Amino acid sequence: MIYQAAIDENFPVAEPTQVARLRSGDPAALADAVGLYQHRLYRYFLRLVRDAASADDLFQQTWLHVVRQIHRYDAARSFDTWLFAIAHNAAMDLLRKRPGESLDDREFAIPSRAPDALSAVLAGERAAILAAAMAALPALYREALTLRFEEGMKLEEIAEVTHAPLSTVKSRVQRGLEAMRQKLTRRDLL
Amino acid sequence: MSDHESVQQLLALSAAGLLDAGEERLVREHARQCAACAAELEEFAALTAGLSALPLPQPPAYLLAQTSALLAAEADRRQAAFLAGAVAVFALVFVLLIGQTLRTLAGDSAAVVWLGWASITSVLGAASALVLASRRRLERSIV
Ligand SMILES: [Zn+2]
Repeated sequence: MIYQAAIDENFPVAEPTQVARLRSGDPAALADAVGLYQHRLYRYFLRLVRDAASADDLFQQTWLHVVRQIHRYDAARSFDTWLFAIAHNAAMDLLRKRPGESLDDREFAIPSRAPDALSAVLAGERAAILAAAMAALPALYREALTLRFEEGMKLEEIAEVTHAPLSTVKSRVQRGLEAMRQKLTRRDLL
Repeated sequence: MSDHESVQQLLALSAAGLLDAGEERLVREHARQCAACAAELEEFAALTAGLSALPLPQPPAYLLAQTSALLAAEADRRQAAFLAGAVAVFALVFVLLIGQTLRTLAGDSAAVVWLGWASITSVLGAASALVLASRRRLERSIV
């Protein structure tokens, strides 16, 4: 897969020794980890909650949680999925309190115009249009797409992060893509 | 369901790389003969490639510093709690040892008086420590 290779090169993950240092409460290891994951974690939050201030808050909350719960982390498992599962829980808590944010898997209607789509079209930037079309999807679908295509996670990893069955994750990816394709082909953008 | 219809259901997942080998083969073979499915598959492929190549949003410059400050405060709090716990254990051992010594030197009643006095002062001490700690937390949150 083309994108898989790109992801592996650009995103270093914590190595076992780093994770061991993290578990022992080493402040330098913690600072390293925050730096190492800052772009990926911030992107995840931004895609999911769609505003920078909330993404900032969630980012900090997540690391605080990591510090408090690191003793519960099972070093035999992936640190990435553990970290993103904490991030997922924090984001869901926030989204649940947000009026107008739907967190269920039922059929969804795509709004005819995403909040930022028009300005993105005017700016004429394809990536901005794609990002805006993704932002117009319901939260669980944006999450599935960013974890699959931006994080390059496997189905099983997404399921672990989102505490959802494999079939549900699969259907979120599928329906998210189908909705985006419909929207974008209507505008001749694909 | 015709081949065309069942393959239509699989196109998005094929582009997402989420089909098993058998399903993937079915899609490829059908798309070779069906222009509509081939075109749709291409659109999905363009879409997933585009999603994978979205520019990485830049976190604000202050985010790392703010997070480090938060984590340092947390480490501080945990260390303080640990020290307070250690001091309390030490004090308890000390009080009991003196009680034991008094008991052997001056009898049971002296030990009881000592333990009563020590428990009153330690309850007062613990209460004032808690008040001080909450003040400090309050001041920190104001700053
Ligand atoms: Zn067909």
